[in-house]
Amino acid sequence: MVYPLLKIDSVSKTYSGNVIALNNVNISISDNEIIAILGPSGSGKSTLIRTILGLTSLDEGNIYFRNNNFKDKNYKIIRNSIATIYQDFNLVSRSSIIKNIMLGDITKISSWRVLFNLWPKETQDKAMDIIEEVGLNSIDFKKRVENLSGGQQQRVGVARALIGAPDIILADEPVSSLDPQTATDILNLIRETAKKNKISVLCSLHQIDFAKSFADRIIGMKEGNIMFNKPAKNILKFDLNKLYK
Amino acid sequence: MLTNNQKLKPPFNYKTIILVLLIFFIFIFSFKRVGMPDVVDRLYEVTLDTIGLKDKSKIADGLSRISNEMWPPVIETKKDINLILNFDSSNLPMYSFIENQKVQLYETNIETLELEYIEEEVLFLVEPLGYLKVVIIKIIESIEIAFWASFIALIFSIPLAYYSAKNYAPNKIIYYVSRSIVSGLRAIPELISVLFMVLAFGFGPAAGIMALGLHSAGFLGKFFAEDIENADKGPQDALKALGSSRWRIVKEAVLPQVMPQYIAYILYILDRNLRMATVIGLVGGGGIGQELKGRFDLFEYGHVTTIILVIFIVVFIFDQISAKLRNKLIGNSS
Repeated sequence: MVYPLLKIDSVSKTYSGNVIALNNVNISISDNEIIAILGPSGSGKSTLIRTILGLTSLDEGNIYFRNNNFKDKNYKIIRNSIATIYQDFNLVSRSSIIKNIMLGDITKISSWRVLFNLWPKETQDKAMDIIEEVGLNSIDFKKRVENLSGGQQQRVGVARALIGAPDIILADEPVSSLDPQTATDILNLIRETAKKNKISVLCSLHQIDFAKSFADRIIGMKEGNIMFNKPAKNILKFDLNKLYK
Repeated sequence: MLTNNQKLKPPFNYKTIILVLLIFFIFIFSFKRVGMPDVVDRLYEVTLDTIGLKDKSKIADGLSRISNEMWPPVIETKKDINLILNFDSSNLPMYSFIENQKVQLYETNIETLELEYIEEEVLFLVEPLGYLKVVIIKIIESIEIAFWASFIALIFSIPLAYYSAKNYAPNKIIYYVSRSIVSGLRAIPELISVLFMVLAFGFGPAAGIMALGLHSAGFLGKFFAEDIENADKGPQDALKALGSSRWRIVKEAVLPQVMPQYIAYILYILDRNLRMATVIGLVGGGGIGQELKGRFDLFEYGHVTTIILVIFIVVFIFDQISAKLRNKLIGNSS
């Protein structure tokens, strides 16, 4: 039997004060598939991604990665197969570009190497290749991230996600703090590199146009419920009205 | 028309007046207890003396006498050559010379059994910069104390900071224990703790180093921990999501962010320890303070002036260096 890459099975999460963030959510993601989660603010998109990452605990339900339950002890295998791109980039702003990218591989480096800043040659080479791949200038690899523009910072974010050779990338509104042109560039970059490296993507967005051109499948969420879940080309105005009315 | 609720409150009411009166009475009551009337009295006398309305003021007298004795600063040493063991006049220390001085002495006349005033010529070995040399050796000891104390503070404060940062302490008990150690270390003033350290380590620099080191470990621990708690959560989340262990998160996502602040804190602690190291000798902690106390007790105010000037110059120079260093390190560290 072929298991789905990621299976979110009846997951619920309620924040204190009875704020329902996720209400019995079921999603199944297969290999090499690009999915956008669409929805207004407060619809539970970020909570969904944070629960998959283990940054927020879930109240009910299970999340499986290739039929490995997240609640079991094989967390480390799962973590190594999942990479994340964040809305606010979440980069270490005072560290260099290459350092930030290599941090995506930190769990695979031995402790004494981390302690003395002795990153293996292979990791450094890999990082240098990826810098080129995401469209940054490799001459600048020692430049501090805080001196880069927003778009360039997000390219570093994408590079950090790619270095671990993940099976799936989770992206939490990766372009909401960027201007439209840069946002299109970044989304194209994510889509292209994902397709090339056969990586699945689960990306939350709130612009419909971006979602349509970016994703293979779009999941609409509102107030913690899934409103629709269909291929991007089949999305109708009727579906979108369900979200934004 | 404003309703009652919308009206601005008056700046004071009867409660304010009572409070002000209460504070006023407390001050009056305390004024006498702490001996302030005396101060006012004497300052009044000094003022009258200075403008010539009164003949003698004890304070003005005493101050002028001390200030006369404090200037010029003494930088030479004079030793009676009869008191120097194995004195060799052909092999004098560098830049020193022998001076012939008349010394007034009282001696008991053996026949009459009465004290007689006599004048005697004594040879002195004069080293023109001898005392300055002594003071410089002593201030170097103080600087050493400051550096060692700061080093010890740094070593102690790193684990303390990690365990007293709320988001990295393994559990509540360890958090509260290390928090209370940090506040405890800060609560005991160095001048008190050095007394205990003298009991443990004896008079000298070691006691001063331990007292200063532990006290400033409290400071550094608190500063470091608060910066760890307040560091940007984003990068920490990113590493946490990768399944990275806590110390790796601190090393890679927290330390780079807080490093400029940490450098500033360490330089501040070094600066503070240098100033305190000059004082700590007063109570047996070694360094220039011991020399200062000794000279002060012998009423040798000329020597005291030299010591104070040297302390001032060293603290001033160090201040300048640390400001430059801070700018340089914070500007370029990665």
